[in-house]
Amino acid sequence: MAEYENPQIPEGINVSPTHPLKDFALLVGGISALILVAVLALSLLAGQLARHVPFEQERALAGSLSRWLPETPAQPAHRERQQYLQQLADRLATAMDLPPEMTLTVHYSASNTVNALATLGGHIVVFQGLIDTLPSENALAMVMAHEIAHIRHRHPIVAMGRGFAVMFALSSLAGIGDGAMQQWLTGVGMLPILSFSRSQEEQADADALQAMLRTYSHVGDAAAFFEHIARQQTTGEPLAIFSTHPGHEERIERIRQFAQSQATQAAPTSVPLPDFMKSE
Amino acid sequence: MYDLILFLVLLLLGYVFGQRAEKRHFKSIIEREQTLRDILVFSERRIPDEDQLEGILVSGNVVISVDFFKRFVASLRNLVGGRVSSYESLLERARREAILRMKDAARRKGATAVWNLRLENASIYKGAQNAVGAVEVVAYGTAVRQRR
Repeated sequence: MAEYENPQIPEGINVSPTHPLKDFALLVGGISALILVAVLALSLLAGQLARHVPFEQERALAGSLSRWLPETPAQPAHRERQQYLQQLADRLATAMDLPPEMTLTVHYSASNTVNALATLGGHIVVFQGLIDTLPSENALAMVMAHEIAHIRHRHPIVAMGRGFAVMFALSSLAGIGDGAMQQWLTGVGMLPILSFSRSQEEQADADALQAMLRTYSHVGDAAAFFEHIARQQTTGEPLAIFSTHPGHEERIERIRQFAQSQATQAAPTSVPLPDFMKSE
Repeated sequence: MYDLILFLVLLLLGYVFGQRAEKRHFKSIIEREQTLRDILVFSERRIPDEDQLEGILVSGNVVISVDFFKRFVASLRNLVGGRVSSYESLLERARREAILRMKDAARRKGATAVWNLRLENASIYKGAQNAVGAVEVVAYGTAVRQRR
């Protein structure tokens, strides 16, 4: 049995000598970067394609949304407010050269939510809570022009197209892994979508300012809404990249700069809101 | 957000405990391999001078669980390919531990060598969703001692 022996085997020949954390960092970093790039490309592409959906189609698509929109108010006072909002929107639309096929439908909600929103098919919802915080028609017009600008640039359908494309891609990719990986993938993948709508917000702000200038020939009170929000907010602002809207301070500053560049000879006078617009 | 925190905590726990367990296990394996060095192990099927020896079947098996961290790193590896180093050390431990347990069984039988060594691997929980997998290694062979 002399020709058989068990020599001592050196340690570490069967295991790659990489540190587990280094391996982890490389994999997470590399794959995150890849997903970010892929999602970015995909959402840009989807957004480009969605832009070409005819407005007619968009409005038909929005038909299924209508149950989420506020119904035509029953109270005469509320109906009066809605009519006023619709007229204001139409006036702004003319000032913004909205293409004739893009029709705006303004909905009034008596809820005290401090918000206004634009969605598919040219629907705009304005909440009483928002109107109550605004000092003048100019301030309201700024918010509405902002929403109209979203519709004009087809932001709602672009956002929907991007959202669907990215969601489909991520869920099909995440199907490979287990639950934990799915979460991580979706978390990473949603980042660029959020920051994209940020640039859309900035575009809408710029357009709204132009519309204000054309309608009232000054931009006084344009920052009123953001100033109100900034006053209300006592807690710190969320991280810029995670929020869809640009920081309020940033927006107020931008509006102020625009106002200075457009300084007119006469002191700007704001048009007051009609009495019936304020809640009792 | 809470899911993410839970996930990171699990990842950290998996890393800390998994690494500690692995380090300890390797230390113990190296020590026991020294004490069992006199039991020789071969994969040769024909046992030399077998007419003077008697053979006994000996076996040793071990099951080692994958920690959360390793599992996650391996699932990332699945996307891009390459050496799954997080599983390499796991299998190395399992293989050596199984052989050690087999050698231990051989010593208790009074044997001096084990011939015709065989190793079998099995993955426990294979395909089960959301279950941390475990690997089993069985080592078996023919232990020989002088015919009495």
